[in-house]
Amino acid sequence: MVQGMALSGVSRTFAGGVGVHGVDLDIDAGQVHALVGLNGAGKSTLMKVLLGMLRPTSGSARIAGVPVRSAGAGVWSRVGHLVEGPLVYGEFTVRGNLEMSAALHGVPRPRRAELVDRGVVEFGLQPYTHRRARSLSFGNKQRLALAAALHHDPDFVVLDEPTTGLDPAGTILLRERVRRCAGEGAAILISSHHLDEVSRVADRITVINEGRLIGRLEPRGAELEQAFFALVLADDERRRAGEEAAS
Amino acid sequence: MSGGALRAAVAVELRKSVRARVPLVAAALLVLGVVAISASAIAAVNAGPPEVLAKLGPVVGGGGWAGYVDAALQVTGAAGAGACGILISWSFGREFSEGTIAGLFALPVSRTAVAAAKLVALFVWTACVTASLIAVLLTAGLLVGLGPPTATDVGVVVGRIPVLLLATAAMTVPAAWVSTITRGLMGGIATTVVLLASAQVIVFSGGGAWFPPSAPALWALAPSPSTLVTLLWSLLFPAAAIILTVVSWHRLQLDR
Repeated sequence: MVQGMALSGVSRTFAGGVGVHGVDLDIDAGQVHALVGLNGAGKSTLMKVLLGMLRPTSGSARIAGVPVRSAGAGVWSRVGHLVEGPLVYGEFTVRGNLEMSAALHGVPRPRRAELVDRGVVEFGLQPYTHRRARSLSFGNKQRLALAAALHHDPDFVVLDEPTTGLDPAGTILLRERVRRCAGEGAAILISSHHLDEVSRVADRITVINEGRLIGRLEPRGAELEQAFFALVLADDERRRAGEEAAS
Repeated sequence: MSGGALRAAVAVELRKSVRARVPLVAAALLVLGVVAISASAIAAVNAGPPEVLAKLGPVVGGGGWAGYVDAALQVTGAAGAGACGILISWSFGREFSEGTIAGLFALPVSRTAVAAAKLVALFVWTACVTASLIAVLLTAGLLVGLGPPTATDVGVVVGRIPVLLLATAAMTVPAAWVSTITRGLMGGIATTVVLLASAQVIVFSGGGAWFPPSAPALWALAPSPSTLVTLLWSLLFPAAAIILTVVSWHRLQLDR
């Protein structure tokens, strides 16, 4: 059984006490695991901990069973991510950016051209192949960033709000690519505000609120939005009651 | 850090240096600026007002190839520090200001390799600029009517300008570290201005031998065993800055 990604007892707090607290999360191989929550709930923080962008205050993150803090090139070459900012340089063309990304992802030189070509086609970037990235629209830059994150067929994928800026066609291309990655056995963690989109792409949906995981949603369930807000509201009321009891 | 990872990172950084505007503009301004100012100084000498000759000092004021080359050495020290400082601040700071830094995490090419590659790219850029400056400087000397240079003049240009520019580039590495800890370009550029201004002030006030950023220019203008020793000692300053920068990139967190 191929191992996925896992967070065990992860806490990461910032000034003022905000952050994530005691999070346990398994992202299994071959599954798309969606993380949904309101702005500031802690989705990006969890993803950053998983990718080594933040060191946890306590707990640990693992990829393929290897602690992130000691992961080497062998693990990272199997990871694709788009968290916070895209790895896209304005002075490079679309093709040049994908070649750069392939090199930094450790793709051997003979394979790069083939993967770059495929990335261009998968995200509908053919008309812009030789355009510099700085002249692309926001949506096309996002397509390029996604192609750069996924063209090397990663086994572990982390995407934070990947549909941002995408038009409906781009959203469908992303959905197809993500489902294909999962079909090939990749473990995928994805965050989104768009519950409709999440319901179409995810196998599991975990809800995060105020830095804590508070429950699950059924991906194909009816009234997903209603179920989401019911969970968040119940958690808010539970915490408020706890705070009042403590004071 | 494996050799393959470093090679990949160096290839990417060199490609950025060729494709982006900042390295090309900085190179053009440095080469053309040094030559234009040096040629202007010699034109002023030839025009001959005594007050101008006095201000230019005994060597430059003497005119000819010796004056032209001396002017070039003086200008290259300051202009090189400015150009290299801006370039290195851009190279490190842009990753934060343009938001590409997140993409440099979770890669088989470590951030340590990326930081080292940026420093390698700075020195490759400096070497290319040095070669261009020497060629343009000698050509311009002929074009402004100085006649053929002597072997000594050519020796001064070919022998001192590479050391001056490469050592000056090294002295600007603290700007890379400051760009990293301040998460942007402006901290690095401010550091460059401070280094440049303090070097000028300390030299004009009669000091400078002990101040690392002054050492390359002081050696280039008056090579001697003592200025050479000072120059070699001063390299500990960029060595410390290189270590600080690489360690900062290794330990980096996206926590602000």
